[in-house]
Amino acid sequence: MIKLENVSKVYNDEVVALRDASFDIPKGEFIFLVGASGSGKSTLLRLMNRQESPERGSVFVAGRNINEMPDSKVPFLRRNIGNIFQDYKLLPNKTVFENVAFALEVIGRPKHVIRQQVPAVLDLVGLAGKQDRFPHQLSGGEQQRVSIARAFVNRPLILLADEPTGNLDPSTGEGIMRLLDRINKTGTTVVMATHDQRIVNMMRRRVVQLDRGVIVRDQARGVYD
Amino acid sequence: MFSRITYAFRETWASFQRNLTLTAAAILTAAVALLLVGVTLLIQEGFSNLLAKWTGGVEMIVYVKPEYSTDQARIDALQQQLQSNAGVKKVTQLNQAESFEQAKRVLTGQASLLETLTVEKMPAQLRVVPEEGTAELLPLLKEQFDPRNNPTVWAVGLATDDIKVVAKISNFVRRFTIGASVVLLIVAVVLIWNTIRTAMFARRREIEVMKLVGATNWFIRVPFMLEGLLQGLIGSLLSCGGLALVNGLWNNSLGSFGSKDLLTNDLVALQVSGPFLRGVMIIILIVGALVGAIAAGIAASRFLDV
Repeated sequence: MIKLENVSKVYNDEVVALRDASFDIPKGEFIFLVGASGSGKSTLLRLMNRQESPERGSVFVAGRNINEMPDSKVPFLRRNIGNIFQDYKLLPNKTVFENVAFALEVIGRPKHVIRQQVPAVLDLVGLAGKQDRFPHQLSGGEQQRVSIARAFVNRPLILLADEPTGNLDPSTGEGIMRLLDRINKTGTTVVMATHDQRIVNMMRRRVVQLDRGVIVRDQARGVYD
Repeated sequence: MFSRITYAFRETWASFQRNLTLTAAAILTAAVALLLVGVTLLIQEGFSNLLAKWTGGVEMIVYVKPEYSTDQARIDALQQQLQSNAGVKKVTQLNQAESFEQAKRVLTGQASLLETLTVEKMPAQLRVVPEEGTAELLPLLKEQFDPRNNPTVWAVGLATDDIKVVAKISNFVRRFTIGASVVLLIVAVVLIWNTIRTAMFARRREIEVMKLVGATNWFIRVPFMLEGLLQGLIGSLLSCGGLALVNGLWNNSLGSFGSKDLLTNDLVALQVSGPFLRGVMIIILIVGALVGAIAAGIAASRFLDV
């Protein structure tokens, strides 16, 4: 599903964020990217949805080299990739329903589809009945669920999660992980950057460890370190 | 498709309300700039109507009575008489048809009068260009060719000093108004540009999310371009209203001074015709909409990476 070939990324000609990274993520896999802050985890995620382009090497998503893709095609690539963030990135002036619907609205989905899919995905993430609340009326865990609903409402092939449990207490974080696990079981590939040791050790999935931009470990059913 | 259109309009309207003060400033500047553009065009037309009679150094016009205006021998004789005066450089003839064409320009603001005019009712003209430095000659000539003294002549018109002054300042006024309207238009563009930039900055989180979930750049851009277009369009509508008002006041005040004889009263020529005014308004509407949309489009493209 995702393949990196000798990818290097340098910021401002001096800060090396990623050096010669290569790995392959098969369809339907759940993979953790671990490492200290600044080790290149987020850069890797940003390369996968072309928020960044590498200086060297190629990034393939669903068999296509996304660095050679014209800018005009990038939105269509992103419709197949859901994104989840540590700070949720919800729109504060929109309700739960509107936040999720927004993702469908801006890619031109018709109203009847939105009316059908949004409640379904809110049900999936456990927020049925809270669709009229605003983000500030929700707990952190609930806000992250809204963000996951928004990322998943379009049934993407891939879910990229950047420290999704970073702002949550352990038990809430576990709830989010169970949700991501369920989503993964529907066939969606999940790539999650984290330094939440407990969660990585609990899940026992593939772990790719980065150290100052270099992949130092790639382990199936791994632990944090 | 329908949901995209409603989305674009809803977002445009929401942004309009959010940014009310900046939007009002942009609209008013656009309105003033476009009003000045319109006034420039009207002044230019008025001046060229006014000066239409007095082109090529002509300073005196002898109008032949309409009943003699087809009598070429009579007209030629009159031309000879004029030509024989020392200080007269050149005398040219304008026949009835040409005179009619000229009247259409000069009397462009007098639609009801123009309707009653026909070629047969028009006087032929003898247009006198004097030598340089013979200012005192023309009043004497006027007296000599006055209808009381010459049965062929219907009226004699002199380019008054006022007209000569107007001819001189018209270029200055034209340049000044064009310059000022260009500067104001640029200010309007910058203000619209800035309004859109502010609107985009206010919505940067939304734009970020839109890009991440796969909205196309055009989808993001269109509401902002619509917003700019609307600002330009409202500005130009206001300026059209202002222009109609200015033109009305101008026409009223023109009627209140100068001679009542419309053929020899030069000042009525400063009016512009209804179709010309409407043409100017259409130009202003198009320019306003384009300026707004383009300024917003550039801003929207430039600040899409928020």
